[in-house]
Amino acid sequence: MNRKLPALLLISVFVVATCGLIYELIAGTLASYLLGDSVTQFSTIIGVYLFSMGIGSWISKYFEKNILSWFIQIEILVGLVGGFSATILFLVFESIASFRMVLYGFVSLTGILVGLEIPLLMRILKDRYEFKDLVSKVFTFDYIGALLASLIFPLLLIPRLGLVKTAFMFGMLNVVVALIVCLSFKKEIKASKYLQSASILSLMALLIGFVNADLITSLSERQTYSDTIIYSKSTPYQRIILTKRNRVLRLFLNGNLQFSSDDEYRYHEALIHPGLQALPFAKHVLVMGGGDGLAVREILKYPNVNAVTLVDLDKGMTSLFKSNKMLLDINKNSLLSPKVKVINADAFSWIKAQHTKFDFIVIDFPDPSNYAVGKLYTNSFYKLVKNILAPKGLMVVQSTSPYVAPKSFWTVNKTLESVGLKTIPYHNYVPSFGEWGYILATEPDNPYKKPQQYLPGLKFVSRESVNLMLFFPKDMSKVETQINKLNNQILVKYFEDEWANVL
Amino acid sequence: MSGQTFYKGSLTTYLKRRSFLLRVGLITGGIIINGCLRKIKSKYDITGNLSGPNSKVGHLLRDKSNLPDPTVVRQVKTLIIGSGISGLSAARWLQKSGEEDFEIIELEKHPGGNSHFGTNQVSSYPLGAHYITVANNEDELLIDFLKETNVITHFENEIPYYNDYFLTFDPEERLLINGEWQDGLIPDFGLPDKDKQQIKDFLALATKLKNTKGSDGKFVFNIPISSSSTDQHYRDLDKITFKKYLQEQGYTSKYLLWYLNYACKDDYGQQLDKISAWAGLHYFSSRRGTAVNAEQNAVLTWPEGNGWLMKQLAQKLSKHIKTSTVCCEINYATNGNIVATVFNALSNITEKIEAKSIILASPQFVNNRLIKNLHRPIDYSPFNYSPWLIANITLNRLPQSKGRGLCWDNVAYDTPSVGYVNSAQQHLEMSDDKKVLTYYLPLCDFEPAVARLAAYSRNYEQWLDIVIPELEIIHPGITQSIEKIDFWVWGHGMIAPGKDFIWSENLEKARTSLEDKVFFAHSDLSGISIFEEAFHQGINAAKQVLNANG
Repeated sequence: MNRKLPALLLISVFVVATCGLIYELIAGTLASYLLGDSVTQFSTIIGVYLFSMGIGSWISKYFEKNILSWFIQIEILVGLVGGFSATILFLVFESIASFRMVLYGFVSLTGILVGLEIPLLMRILKDRYEFKDLVSKVFTFDYIGALLASLIFPLLLIPRLGLVKTAFMFGMLNVVVALIVCLSFKKEIKASKYLQSASILSLMALLIGFVNADLITSLSERQTYSDTIIYSKSTPYQRIILTKRNRVLRLFLNGNLQFSSDDEYRYHEALIHPGLQALPFAKHVLVMGGGDGLAVREILKYPNVNAVTLVDLDKGMTSLFKSNKMLLDINKNSLLSPKVKVINADAFSWIKAQHTKFDFIVIDFPDPSNYAVGKLYTNSFYKLVKNILAPKGLMVVQSTSPYVAPKSFWTVNKTLESVGLKTIPYHNYVPSFGEWGYILATEPDNPYKKPQQYLPGLKFVSRESVNLMLFFPKDMSKVETQINKLNNQILVKYFEDEWANVL
Repeated sequence: MSGQTFYKGSLTTYLKRRSFLLRVGLITGGIIINGCLRKIKSKYDITGNLSGPNSKVGHLLRDKSNLPDPTVVRQVKTLIIGSGISGLSAARWLQKSGEEDFEIIELEKHPGGNSHFGTNQVSSYPLGAHYITVANNEDELLIDFLKETNVITHFENEIPYYNDYFLTFDPEERLLINGEWQDGLIPDFGLPDKDKQQIKDFLALATKLKNTKGSDGKFVFNIPISSSSTDQHYRDLDKITFKKYLQEQGYTSKYLLWYLNYACKDDYGQQLDKISAWAGLHYFSSRRGTAVNAEQNAVLTWPEGNGWLMKQLAQKLSKHIKTSTVCCEINYATNGNIVATVFNALSNITEKIEAKSIILASPQFVNNRLIKNLHRPIDYSPFNYSPWLIANITLNRLPQSKGRGLCWDNVAYDTPSVGYVNSAQQHLEMSDDKKVLTYYLPLCDFEPAVARLAAYSRNYEQWLDIVIPELEIIHPGITQSIEKIDFWVWGHGMIAPGKDFIWSENLEKARTSLEDKVFFAHSDLSGISIFEEAFHQGINAAKQVLNANG
């Protein structure tokens, strides 16, 4: 027998140990990204993993013959399971109900397989070393591998490669060990051809995964977002990205922040309550945009509202906010309420065909940063909105920042006025957005009456705060602008210019 | 001496004719041989259709020997040949005047002429004419029509308010120049100051001319052309080419000359050395229309281009339009009426239609054959029609480029085409990445007759060879995003107003009716091929018919 072989097996102990710990760290990190509360996640993951290793070690005694070829097969399997773990976990995260099961399933499976490896190796090597030497050598390499893994994981792998690629890389490493062992012990193994081809195929699968990992979370995105990306998806209309840092969730659409879970209440309370509180008779409410269901959450606080229609272009968005547990916690299951009807349609086309009137209309579109969205801020669009506004009703439009983009804000105001509406502009401070603006609009013969009292339990809106919101200090005071029209989208130009100065 | 002149004349004609045939032979022969080779292996993996106006039925006109004998003889008060804009407009006018006894014959399967359009899953798209501009305020007939069709929704202080959905949506135009897409089509980005100055000077001249009236108090350049001033001083501009005029005026900037050349290609399908100065300036100085909600000269467009306007015209006329029917010959009847022999390609029946009046809303190159038995003392040779290639390109996404994003009209500096329009520009919906771009290529490198025959002999792969390289220059890497390209060849795309054409006596004569029975309505009789001219030509002919019939 070749003398090099024991050394090779010891090196494989080292690799196996490194990979094993890496998979454990990946699972722990993913769990804390996706489920939050890192202390709980890490300790349960470590617990389950170590316990599973125990199970693996126990099972090892049932392997009687062909230990070397079993070792190789298990190596390949560890490589595949570990390598694809991060990808699969990311992909199933959308339906979070089953997420924990999948997560702990993966952790157990990896643990069992890794747990099998060391005992099997020791049995392979038992005839080549004395027992004391064997134990000392195997465990030395095992722990050195663990140290290496624990150091390179946070310092090198996560910042450079990211979770998904790291997993694939170590999966490949596992399979390479299997392949080398297989080639070196060719003579001692039955069916070495089969093992060789299995490992080569697995290696290729992992390599394909590694190369295409950017499809799951792109490197450029990870560099753009300071927080950890826990979900990303391209729908036909936009790129949805959810990030998390500590307990704070942020939603980005095409790179623009839509909300941050720690202060979104300021935005959504300001958007809804000054208008809806003034309409005690309001029954039918329309929300356009706002597929996150957060505006709807505020609307559902009014018992007099018995039907909310939400029109959002993107089914990808509304489905996410209907199914993901973490997001359902934020929107309080609003989109699942029987009062709420979700329509996935283009707002312009939908409203053109619409005849029934609404008491309160909330227009919560993304900022007018391009010509496609800009159409939804034109006089043509507002004319259509006005047509479906009940005579005593109110509409409210999110209108970007009157501080950063005063021309943009007052253009929305002017455009609303141009279709014969009376406007009531107001603003508040939302830490993650800055000073933000909204415009209420109503038929001129239906003056807006400031509510004297607001619902209990609101965190921001009150009679006093609304008084402040209605007041525009000099640095945000009205500027003369033009009307935003389909054939001259002045708003997009203003918006571009004004925000270019900031960003 | 006269004999010698005659001899010389006929020799030159002979030689000219010979060299013409030789050139045509060489060019088309070359193309066909190349085409045979290309059939074997295509460079691009792109498919689509290559089509054009129905030449099979059209050519029946030439060789009508194999037509079945006429089986039916029927009567109609007014017969209109051609359902392009001029024919439809004539019919509309008859109908508005209470006349219902008329019929429109169209050789294609559909009405519309140059305003024809196509539709696929992504969008409708034009196959020819694709926009009009805000109407000149004194053009009441046109304004009435625009009111009828809700293109003008109302008036504020007598100024029209145009339908917001039809005014071209922002962003309207961009030009790829010096490596970047700039806003608007007038070259600016990266231009030396002296070029910018010349462009400014020319535009100032155009504005001045726009507001200039001749000695008769009429605007020098107007739409319809017939309402322009008769002042000889300005009409003399028709006697020189636009190129010569610009030289005389001292315009040398290559950027300005490119832009003006682009304009001539865009509107007339020819370069500025083939266009009269009067026509060249008309493009810039005839549009004064104002709107409450748009700027002067604002453009109106639809996904299907002028196909939308055409549909508005055709809607109320559908029961009068007979498609797939070609008129082969027109003769005077012994009873003082007029008889048209028409052949229906679907039923394979030849009919004789006896009419009191006939409106030929067909181009003059067609009329030349239709009425060769009638005496019409005009010369058909100055009627030159520019051939065009239209490519409708379906993309799954448009590659990103530097500068201004996709607009309605997208032009690249110094390329053979006049750019492309985005047919989904007027869609209100958020669109995904799929696009249909309508790319316009005037075939103006050779004289029209040669270019036309060359165009007819090209196969699909050869058109790809012409179009794709330019697209790749405009958008590197675009080829792999192309799902489909459909080509459409207009052999006689539009009238080219050469030197001495618009204000020639010949054209005046061509507009004159024959025996108060045969009337003419086509934009080629105005000398420029735009919706407005065809629209007015139609009304004029209809008015003459109504007059003639008392």
